[in-house]
Order: sequence, then C-alpha cells, then structure tokens
Amino acid sequence: MTTATTRSLIAKDKQATGARLRRWIVGLWNLNLLLGVISIGTLGLLWEYAQPLGIPGVRNVPAPSEVVSASAKLLRSRLYWEGWMLSVQRITLGFLAAQIVGIPLGLMMAMHRNSFDTMFPIVEILRPIPPVAWIPVSIIFWPTRELSVVFIVFLGALWIVLLNTIGGASNVDQNYKRAALSLGSTQRDLFWRIILPATIPSIVTGMAVGMGIAWEMVIAAEMIAGRTGLGYLLWQSFEINALAQVIVCMVSIGIAGYISSGIIRQLGGFAAPWQRQH
Amino acid sequence: MSTDSSNGGTLSIRHAGKIYDPDGSNVVALDDVTFEIKAKEFCVIVGPSGCGKTTLLNAIAGFDQLTAGQILLDGELLTSPGKRLLPGADRMVVFQQGALFPWKTVLWNVTCGPIQQGRMSRREAERHATHLLARVGLTSIENQYPGELSGGMKRRVEIVRALMNDPKILLLDEPFRALDALTKSVVQEYLLELYDLTPKTVFFITHDIEEAAFLADRVVIMTTRPGRVMKIVNVDIERPRNHQVLTTPHFLRIENEVREAIHDEARKAFEAGERELA
Amino acid sequence: MAQLIATAPTAIGDAGAVNVPWNVRLRRLLRSRRPYLALLGIIAFFLAWYLLVDVLRFWRFRELPGFVASVREWINPNPVYGVSLFTAEYYNHMWASVYRVFVAFLCATGLGISIGILMGWRRIFYGLTFPILELLRPIPILAWIPLAIILLPGRELPIIGLTFLAAFFVTILNTLLGVKSIDPVYFRAARSLGFSQTAILFHVIVPGALPYIFVGLQIAMGACWFSLVASEIVSGQAGLGYKVWEAYYYVQFETMVIIMATLGFLGYVSSALVRMVGNRLMRWRARILAGV
Repeated sequence: MTTATTRSLIAKDKQATGARLRRWIVGLWNLNLLLGVISIGTLGLLWEYAQPLGIPGVRNVPAPSEVVSASAKLLRSRLYWEGWMLSVQRITLGFLAAQIVGIPLGLMMAMHRNSFDTMFPIVEILRPIPPVAWIPVSIIFWPTRELSVVFIVFLGALWIVLLNTIGGASNVDQNYKRAALSLGSTQRDLFWRIILPATIPSIVTGMAVGMGIAWEMVIAAEMIAGRTGLGYLLWQSFEINALAQVIVCMVSIGIAGYISSGIIRQLGGFAAPWQRQH
Repeated sequence: MSTDSSNGGTLSIRHAGKIYDPDGSNVVALDDVTFEIKAKEFCVIVGPSGCGKTTLLNAIAGFDQLTAGQILLDGELLTSPGKRLLPGADRMVVFQQGALFPWKTVLWNVTCGPIQQGRMSRREAERHATHLLARVGLTSIENQYPGELSGGMKRRVEIVRALMNDPKILLLDEPFRALDALTKSVVQEYLLELYDLTPKTVFFITHDIEEAAFLADRVVIMTTRPGRVMKIVNVDIERPRNHQVLTTPHFLRIENEVREAIHDEARKAFEAGERELA
Repeated sequence: MAQLIATAPTAIGDAGAVNVPWNVRLRRLLRSRRPYLALLGIIAFFLAWYLLVDVLRFWRFRELPGFVASVREWINPNPVYGVSLFTAEYYNHMWASVYRVFVAFLCATGLGISIGILMGWRRIFYGLTFPILELLRPIPILAWIPLAIILLPGRELPIIGLTFLAAFFVTILNTLLGVKSIDPVYFRAARSLGFSQTAILFHVIVPGALPYIFVGLQIAMGACWFSLVASEIVSGQAGLGYKVWEAYYYVQFETMVIIMATLGFLGYVSSALVRMVGNRLMRWRARILAGV
C-alpha cells in the first residue's frame, strides 16, 4: 500500500473514529445516568410501596408522596425558615471561631518546635473525647443555650482545622524556604509569602471536613439541648410523630450541608487559584 | 500455534495508524508505520518525544487500540481496529515509571508471573528467580520490598520479572530513563548479558542514541507528528558486547549515523512543542 | 453525613522509627526536650483547670466540676455518685458502649470495604450505587436518629445501627478513593503478567487500596464513638453517652468528668488499635518511609 492510499484511508478512518469515540463517550455518560436512574428509581418505588409490599421497618416510614405533601406545608411555615436561619447562624459563628482559634494556633505550633511539643500532647488528650460528650459541660458553663450550641460547633470543627493547619505548615517544601532565603527574604516575608500560602490548600481541606462535622454538631446540640433550629425541629417532629416532617427536615439539613461545603470549595478555589485544576 | 516461546516471536507491524481525537484536534500519533522485527532480534526505537513510540508499544501490548493497520505476532493478529484488546503474558512490558508491586516482596514480584499462569510450581519459580537475580548481581534481596531498593536494583528486578514470564516479545518503554549515567551503563550490560543468555525478541524504546546503538541489532528512527518510520539502521557489532565497544570507531560511526538522522527531527519536534505552548 | 474523606494516607504511624530498637529510641527521647515540654504542657493544663475552678472561682468557671474533686471521685472506693474505678456500674456502662462500637465497627468495616472495592472494580456496580451514596451522604448521621428508631426494632439496634452508619459511609468512600488512587500501571503490569481477575483483585486492588482504607478506618472509628455517644444520649438506657447525660441531669458533675475522660481514653485506644493493625498489614510502607 502506498502512503497516499493510506492517507486517504486514515482520513476516512479519522471521521469514523471521531464519531465512534464521541458515541462511546455519550454512551458511557448515558450508562451512568441510566444506572443512577434505575437504582434511585427502584429505591424510591420500594419506599413508596413499602406498605402494600409489607417490607419490615420501611413500611412504618411515610412514603415519598406523603413527604412531598408534608414539605409543601412545612415550607410555608415561619418556624421552618426560622430554623434554617438559626442553624446557619450557629454554624457560621462556631465555624468562624474555630478558624480564628485553630489557624493561628496551628501555624504557631508548626513553626515553633517548643510550642508544638508543649501543646500537642494536650490536643491529643482532648481530641479523642467526642465533641457530643461536651454538650453537658457546655450547657453548664455558658450563660445562654445559644452560646453553648455555638461552642459545641466550635469544638467539633476545631481539631480538624488545627491538625490540618499544623500538617500543612510543617510540610512546606524545604526548597521553597531555601529559595526564598537565598533571594534575600526576611523571616516575616518567609511567613507571609511562603509558609502561609503553601498551607492554604491544607487549611481549605480542613475547613471542608470541619464544615461537615460542624453540621453534625449543630444537629446534635439542637436535638439534645436546643429549643430552636433545624435539629430541634427534626426532633420535635419525631416526638409528635409527624414522620413525614422528620424526613423533610433530614433532606433540608442535607441540602444545607451540601450548600455550605460548596461554599467552602469556592472559597478554596479563590484563595488558592494554583490548586484549581486538581 | 505453539506456545513454546523458544521459537517464534516475529513481530509484524503493518500500516499501523493511530489518531487521537479527544475534541476534534486530530493528533496523528502514528501514520502508516510498517516494519518487522525478526524472532530474537533486539530492536530499538528512537525518536523525539511525542513521536508515537509509546503509542506503538501500547498497541503491541494490547493496552490501546490502533485506528488503522494491524500488528501480528508470529502471523497471529494482535491488534487491529475493532478487535478486542487482549493484553497477555506473551508480550511482557517493562514500564517507564516502574511497576513492581510495592506491597509485595522482590521474590513475590519476580515469581508471580509463572505462578499465576500455572506454568511453574512455587518452588521451581523461586529457584529459577534466585538464579536469574544472582545473574544480574542481586543476591539476598528476595525478601525485601521494592521500596527499599535503589533505582538501578529495581530496574534489574523488573527485567528479571519480565524474563521469568518467558514472553515471546519483551517490550521496554524507556526503562533506564530515571537512572544516572553510571548506573545506566551497568544495568545496560546486565540486560545484554541476560539477552545473550536467553535471546528473545526485544522492542526497546529510548531517546538515548548511545544506548540505542549499544543495545540494538537494528535501530528504528521515527519522526514526530505524524509518527512515521524515518530510517532503519543496522548495527553490525558482534555480541557479546560490553562498554568497551562504545569507543571503537565502528560504533561511533553507527552512533553518528543515528544521531545525524534524528537531529533535524528533534529540532522540528522541539519547535513544534514551543509553538504549541505559545 | 460529614465529608470525612482522608486527605492523604501518609498520616499512619510513626513509621520513620521502625528500624531503631526501642531502648535506643527511649534514650534518645529522654535526652531531648520533648518529654519535659509535654509534661509541662499537661501540668499547665490541669493546673489552669484547678486554679480557674477551685481557687479563683472566676466567672462561670465556678459552675464547672473541679479537677481535684473529679479525680477524688474517680479513685474513691465509695464514690458519692456511685461511679468510680471500683464500682461495677462504671464497667457496665463501659462494656455497653464498647460492645456497640465493636459490633458496629466490625460490620461497617466488612461491608464498607467490600462495597467500596466492588464500586472501584466494577463499573456497573459503581453506576448503580454511587448516586445513592451521594444522595445520602450530605445528611448528618445524627439526623438519622428518628428514622433509625422507626426502622429498627428494640432499643439496642437503633444505636448500633447509627454507630454503624457513621463508620459505613466513611469506609466506603475511602476504600473507593483507595481503589481509584492505584496507579493504572499496576493493572497493566498485572495483565502483562497474566493475572486472572481474582488475582488482580487480591494482589493489586486490595493491597493497593489499603493505605487509604486504613486512614478511612481511623476516621471511621472516631465517627463511631461520636455517633454512639449522641445516640446514647438521645435514646440509650446504658452506656457512657447515656451516663454522661444522666450525670448532668442529676447534677453529678464529677461523674460527668469521669465519663468524658473514659470516652477520651477509649477513643484513643481504639484508634491506636486500628493504627497498629494497619502498620502490621502494611509493613512494606513502613520500610519505604524508613528508607527515605
């Protein structure tokens, strides 16, 4: 075969391959979509018809159709939106406090060997205590319930933020520091221009995980000790046996958590633009 | 077709073509590549980066599909458009970045091929492996993990693993790229020693011209974008060879012939790369 | 559910020191400043507690249980509130909690790892299960408490179920991440070496995913204790979480401190156990890290 004929064959093949590849990608995308629809659809149907099918346990749970009608009612109530507002407010305060304490403390511990050696053992002693177990102490200590819930949120997010900051700041590539020093930077420059930026990705990771824990905490604290908020509404609905409302609350909390981690991710992309591609 | 690899191992590449078309960009990686590697021939492919060497190797190994042409091993069709990909033990690959399983000991790594295929008992495989390892200067490292070895040792272990598999054709993708010059020359000699011991068909990719001329029976020089066979240089230096060959006028003449051929290509490829980045 | 995904599986163990014998390590440690600073920090913490609560009785700190009183209660053969190292009640609560965590963690590990690996291994299974996981994951574990009580019979099963759930999601996700993190070159090498699908599963996928799996298991252990305490507070009749809340309710604040300390201790020991098993199963990593 001569090169010319091959060339024309390849040209034809080129189109065919392109089309085939595109079809394959589309097919794959559809396959995943299809599988997702199948699995979620099956689950939804089983849930909806659990009562007639007699599936143990699930048949006591209100069907999706009931949940939808309950949500229509709940979404119009003031209590529900107030719950949203209060939970978000507590999350914001507690979470911010955890950053304000955790990040500087972590940076200090990473940069000064002695402060690390002094403080880290206490962190290791306090960290394994589940934050939920602090709820009673928190109620006793803080003058208002509001503050005690915020404190629990703070405590939940604190450890992971602290650990990630320490980890990030002490793993900064030695060569960056050496390069900066040989370019004549001062200790101050070294901190602000090398160590802090290099730690940001790790801080953001800590924040993302911390946000998840913060939501766990706010729900726990509101359920156990609160008088308002989404967690309280959830527990209250359960106590008065309004099960459809329980599920609406669960979904709402899920959405809230999803949105807040989305925000963290956006912030992360903004604060560390060189990491965006990864 | 016989499964005994001691005879056979003729590789025919016929009008092989490969076009990458991720988003209509139509990169021609291989265009009408045709050549044959005789049984037990040591064939080295050189060419600038991006000339489709690795693409060709992947097609032979059965990791990747061609878009035109065919590849045959002993007259049996390995790869052609539309044929199902079937990587197999008859075409053992030594990868550029190294692929010893880090979670297994050296001995396990070296013996796993024949044991998994059921060709040898454990005891037999281990005896054979110890023998081959000693041949390349590695003794009493059987129970170490790959992570504990130096780069040169890892490469030798990997070559032994490939030979233990007793393939019809050995495919090596720039295996010595990451080694320093001194280690490299030692490992090259070991490779030649093993080759002389049990000759096999070898498909060896590199862009080190001296390495190519030192190891090969024939050097295939490829061009870049589209990847084509530009020239085939015969290396008529007697085996066994050692590093003393490197300074003979005959060797230098061959090396120069390859270098001349490839130089313009390399410049073209380099400039194309610069243009692409700009 | 929290996004409790591992950041990097390098955090396991103090692997750098494996080749040094323990007595040399101890001597080296004692000659450094580290143990003395640690002691200083710990003493400072407890001294601050003592001074703020017992001596200065500053602000709200006077409401809190004191350090001395708590320790005295803990080691008292005849404790004022009925819980100390010498009472059966203490160990009964401890056993109830440990048992629940043990069962839940074991189930979560077994199921979570198998499902995670299956998800990473089989595309169809991944397609079927991943959407469900993504849908349920953002819901905090504790929001499941009411549903768990409805779905599962009795008082014991809902608590174990919730504890299980907390570890389950974390384990699946980290296992999946572990499988996806395996360099494709190992799969190619295995195919070239003529491995069967089962051999690939047991010799490439499982060991390759192990580092991530164990980071996941460590996090899962923490999540277990956390959701155990929460569900015991809400619906338990025994267990440390239940006792912490009861002690608060009956104003037995010293007991509260004892239980919290116990929870911290058990939490630490259990994750140390997971770490030990991990290091044992991944000696190849320890030696690599030591070699660097």
